[in-house]
Amino acid sequence: MESKAGEIISQEERDILQELMNIAFGNATADLAQVIDIYVQLSVPDIQVVAINKLPDYLKDAINSDSKSSIVEQKFWGSFQGSGLLVFPSGSGMDLLALLHEKESEEEPSNKVPMDLIEKGGLLEISNILIGACIGKFSELLGTFVTYSPPQVFHGNSDECESFINGFNPSQTAIVMKTVFDFQDKNVSGFLLILTGYESLDWLRKALHDFLGSYE
Amino acid sequence: MIFTQIFDMLDAGIVILDKELHVFKWNRWMATHSNIPPEKIIGESLFTFYPDLNVPWFLRNCKSVFTFGNFAFLSYKLHKYCFPFKSHNSLGYNFTHMQQNCTVGPLRNDDSNIDYIYINVQDVTEVASYEKKLIEMNTRDGLTDIYNRRFFDTRLEEEFVRHKRYDRPMSMIMLDIDFFKDTNDTHGHQAGDFILVSLTKLLSGRLRKTDIFCRYGGEEFCCILPETTIDSARSLANDLLHSVSSNTFVFNDTPIKITISLGVSVLSESTDSAETLLKETDDALYQAKKEGRNKVIVAGDT
Repeated sequence: MESKAGEIISQEERDILQELMNIAFGNATADLAQVIDIYVQLSVPDIQVVAINKLPDYLKDAINSDSKSSIVEQKFWGSFQGSGLLVFPSGSGMDLLALLHEKESEEEPSNKVPMDLIEKGGLLEISNILIGACIGKFSELLGTFVTYSPPQVFHGNSDECESFINGFNPSQTAIVMKTVFDFQDKNVSGFLLILTGYESLDWLRKALHDFLGSYE
Repeated sequence: MIFTQIFDMLDAGIVILDKELHVFKWNRWMATHSNIPPEKIIGESLFTFYPDLNVPWFLRNCKSVFTFGNFAFLSYKLHKYCFPFKSHNSLGYNFTHMQQNCTVGPLRNDDSNIDYIYINVQDVTEVASYEKKLIEMNTRDGLTDIYNRRFFDTRLEEEFVRHKRYDRPMSMIMLDIDFFKDTNDTHGHQAGDFILVSLTKLLSGRLRKTDIFCRYGGEEFCCILPETTIDSARSLANDLLHSVSSNTFVFNDTPIKITISLGVSVLSESTDSAETLLKETDDALYQAKKEGRNKVIVAGDT
């Protein structure tokens, strides 16, 4: 993938970033087990620097490998800002509901919330927690707190997906952190992308050095 | 001082809860809509007053906010409301309760630890009404008020996937009014419309709430029967056949008799798509027409 590490962040900074995310995700895993009662395995994050004009292609590659996948996007803002993006294989919503032990309502279907909404709701709820856990733990390590917008869900082959991908400013550069997650024993896995743009780059670089400084 | 005022002036609910989910603050909006004054609820467990919130999804989201400092978004689309407040009439819809979007967020102390969380409650009853209206306009047939073709196609696909996935029986009935053109020609189109409306009422009355009954086109109707074996579908089809043929429709004092033809099929292992099921049912209907009408044909029966 596109790598202009020298210009955007140095190899050293990239290493710190990776290490920090690793620690953050480790913390997230432990706490997730407490909150949702599921052990979520998070892989060592892969960090890429992608020129924004290459980002649409990068995302299309990442997402459209399964055009029926469900994508949940959540924006976060503060000193550290960007988007969290979870990509689930199609049909995961139902499996996730089962994970949350939410049973189908016994009511007559005309009175209850339609199934697709319940499935969407399950996806959104668990994604909100997963993204919040990863970004929250990471921000905490770097001594900041972020605010979140409500998550949105769309399908990989939809117009919404297209306009989401095309919505990125083509004149910028993004740092993409990619992690594979796996709900252990539950057969649900997918990946998490954290996209952060130019706005938080100065802050991020400083925070990384401050973090390193605190150990020196 | 000013911030304290905002708390009570806002046209939205704000509740602050401590780690035990006891109420720490309860703003005026909440007091007004709940009829519970702050002095009565502060210090008490939220669940003493709202036991229906003592459920996994609510607890899980609060726990997540305390643990990760993230936000939880409790949409009316999924939960309808968190606090059962009285609703006002909107667009002619009368929701039993105010529809609410609730956001749960963290409140940190000077050491950045989260000791409290807040719940922001927004009244979105009007939004919910618009949505309901739009959905109705988009999913119902204007004349008969049963589902339209667009809705049917979407649901068919969903039900197909669901029944395949869980290996559950699902049947389908397609039916058509016999010689409907003659009815129109003899009695006029108004009578034709009357027949369409009366027929759907008659048939709807014999279907379950779970069945998805739609006007497929002109005088053709289609019905998805979830969780239904072919034997039950067959007897339902025969019941529909007889209820129509034995009924006399009276339009402007003129008695009109009609009959219908029906095709029935069931989801089987070899049914590879929703379209296949539709085609099998349609073929069965065609067969019923060919064999003289006023008849039920079940796909696969020879």
